[in-house]
Amino acid sequence: MTFDCKDLERALAIPELLPEAREHAKVCDACRRELWLWSEMSTLAPGLREQWETPELWPRIRETLAAQQKADKRQARVSRRNWYMLAGVAAVMLIAVSVLLVTYSRQGAAPASQDSDLLTEQALREVEKSEAAYRASIDKLARLAETRLKSSENPGAVTAREKLLVLDSEISNVRATVSHNRFNAQLQAELALLYRDKQDTLKEILQSAQ
Amino acid sequence: MAAGRLTARSDADLIQASKRGDLSAFEEIYAAHAGRMKSIAFHLLADRADAEDAVQEAFLKIYRAAGGIQSDTVLAPWIYRILLNCCYDTGRKRRRQAESPLEADPPAIPANVPLQVAIRHALGRIHPQYRMVFWLFEVEGFRHSEVAAILEIPEGTSKKWLFEAKRELKRLLTESRA
Repeated sequence: MTFDCKDLERALAIPELLPEAREHAKVCDACRRELWLWSEMSTLAPGLREQWETPELWPRIRETLAAQQKADKRQARVSRRNWYMLAGVAAVMLIAVSVLLVTYSRQGAAPASQDSDLLTEQALREVEKSEAAYRASIDKLARLAETRLKSSENPGAVTAREKLLVLDSEISNVRATVSHNRFNAQLQAELALLYRDKQDTLKEILQSAQ
Repeated sequence: MAAGRLTARSDADLIQASKRGDLSAFEEIYAAHAGRMKSIAFHLLADRADAEDAVQEAFLKIYRAAGGIQSDTVLAPWIYRILLNCCYDTGRKRRRQAESPLEADPPAIPANVPLQVAIRHALGRIHPQYRMVFWLFEVEGFRHSEVAAILEIPEGTSKKWLFEAKRELKRLLTESRA
């Protein structure tokens, strides 16, 4: 290929063609000047770099960054403190709710237990009044059955007599216990059962005698 | 010449340390890049005070952004991209503040001046994209791969724009010296 002045532009774009361009430049002043200019631009360009001392620039940046770090740390501390406060409030609320729940559950359970085991003064008076009336009617029934029991010698009457003795003994024991613990509903109920048992036994004696 | 090549600690180490608030690590980044950053900022803003402000703003942004940077990120292109954005912001601000919104035409290339001075003048007359590639490659000594990463263009485009920049400069210089 014969290198021509028109090929110079292409040679500058394609480095492989540069040796041919240089050969041509040896005999062509215009191309020599252009080639020289082309390479001088690269040679002189680093000299265009602007350099100057700025000893205050880094301290200025560091100061701003340090202030920013302090502000960030303060913000983090405030956030952490807020979080701790929130956690504290939550813990206090949890404890308060737990205490309330326990208190309410105890308050809810206590009256039921007291109602079942212990009697109030008014209820006791009613129970005692009923018991007295019940006992009087049973005594009346016992007096009626007594003549029948004494005159009869059949095995059923003997068994009934022995059962009544046991029941009377039991009634007397429970009544003695009740006298020390008048508000105990369980003892009152037990006493009532014994009276009922005695009443049923007396009824059976009277019915068998008819 | 590789941009931002550091000997003491790697870019990744410095960024990790900076993330932890280690200002001495950040100072190493500053020491490695500040000179070149000032030069680029001055080239774009043509004012030393503005250039220093842009570099300061860039470093503050770099420090703030360091927390989100991936450990495998190549530091130099990222730093210079931030700098260019800061310079463009400053330039825009300055244009808004200027009494005349229209930029004056670049001055003609004076005759009978040293070639280096003529090149500086001629650079003001070529396309800004070509000028930027010429500046980064020929003046600041970045490789095409680095120029491409900084300007976020393909490497081939960087080479093409450099060629166009030099062709334009050659034309302007030849005309001015004819």
